[in-house]
Amino acid sequence: MITWKYERRAITSKEVALLATMGTLAAALRIPFAVVMSVQPATFIIMITGYVFGAGPGFIVGMMTPLVSNFFLGQGPWTPWQMLAWGLSGAGAALLASKEKRFNIKTFTVLSGLWGYIFGWIMNIWHWLGFIYPLTFSTFFATYAISFPADTMHGVGNIVFSLTFGKTFYNILSRYKKKITVVNFTEK
Amino acid sequence: MMYTYKEKNNLIYKLNSRTAISYIFLLVLFSLIMSHPFFLLGLLLAVGVVIISADIVREWIVYLKVSLGFIIIIVLVNCIFVKAGRTVLWWGPYIPGLGKLRITLEALCYAVGMGLRFLVIISAFCLFNYTVHPDKLLKLLGKSGNRVVLALSLSTRLFPVMMGDYHRIKEVQRCRGVNFQEKRLWRKAQKYIPIMNIMLISGLERSFQLAEAMEARGYSLEGKSYYSLELWRPRDFVIFAALGLATALGIWLMILGVTDYQYYPVLNDINWKDGLQAGFFSMLLMIPAVLNWGWNKWPLLRSKI
Repeated sequence: MITWKYERRAITSKEVALLATMGTLAAALRIPFAVVMSVQPATFIIMITGYVFGAGPGFIVGMMTPLVSNFFLGQGPWTPWQMLAWGLSGAGAALLASKEKRFNIKTFTVLSGLWGYIFGWIMNIWHWLGFIYPLTFSTFFATYAISFPADTMHGVGNIVFSLTFGKTFYNILSRYKKKITVVNFTEK
Repeated sequence: MMYTYKEKNNLIYKLNSRTAISYIFLLVLFSLIMSHPFFLLGLLLAVGVVIISADIVREWIVYLKVSLGFIIIIVLVNCIFVKAGRTVLWWGPYIPGLGKLRITLEALCYAVGMGLRFLVIISAFCLFNYTVHPDKLLKLLGKSGNRVVLALSLSTRLFPVMMGDYHRIKEVQRCRGVNFQEKRLWRKAQKYIPIMNIMLISGLERSFQLAEAMEARGYSLEGKSYYSLELWRPRDFVIFAALGLATALGIWLMILGVTDYQYYPVLNDINWKDGLQAGFFSMLLMIPAVLNWGWNKWPLLRSKI
């Protein structure tokens, strides 16, 4: 839906290039961090993009990241769920930005930490629905309990990335946003 | 950094991407709808034969090894937490919150069935990764959308460039005396901080140049031209006919309830007639492998299809 809405808008070449760049950066940085289980800067990069540029770009960069990186790492049944989970993380960060007047590293870090768990919960849905029966509270809880350590690692990683790169990335991206924003002074 | 896709000289690689994607999509769809172990085994057999004929066995084994972790989770959750079965195989100790642990034959069989389903899905994706070129997939998606798919295409092109940037920056840092082999994880992580910052800045600078290049090629002009170099050949029609037959047979068997299997509360009786139907269904899905065999063996057939 967000993608369809975005397609209808008049998007400049700079915006398309920005989406491609941020999607690639998030995807490319998944590789060197792949050795540490669940710790990867992709979530942070998608969220900071959503925070600065809004829900549309945040969702699209989140959706692009797994699709592109999995062309190199290997697509699987997890790809659509990763697209959804990362897309929503970008849109979620944009929602936070709409509630704040200026960048607040504390709230952003808390949200990024929480997204470590939300991401894992979304990813667990396909596993629970597709391979577990009957769909009871105990099987639901068990599926989520198994992923808890990995989700915690993901959340902690997001917090570390947000505290380390949050302000720098925000400043760089905000400056870039100003550069590509066209202000129309035409009087009506 | 290269795609997982590697070109090989056999018919599976020379199919129209729509044919290959339809085949893989149907495999995944059937595996999700059917729960009878015979049909799941038939699907696994079919995709396995096609993978072997496509000469990607070594890659498939890696996928199967990775699947083991997921299958262990499937078995553990089903056996330990599901208490719907009646045939108890083993009584275990009392676990707070769960009660007395009991493993039932039904839960174990269900877990094995779902393990088969997972193997079918993983094998289908293995076939997809190694036989469908990402550019062809993006071209197909490009018909439904313009800008997002353009961003995706650019991204697949930028990915190797950015990985190159990463290695280049790391090499430069190493020349400046930065030690990336630190034993302490935090100290090691600190060395990577400048790399990420430089990658972001250089990436954004490159995106400006990219945008200008796009403008120079008429990005913002109205209307979009589209062309496809992919041909429809007889081999695609033969495979589509087999897929059509398999779909019709699958739907008919689903209506009859043959493809479903009740695991709980006690296992359904096994009807060997179902095995024959599953075998015939599986053979229809092996047509690409049969065509590939003929394509390799008879030059005349190769020229005709």
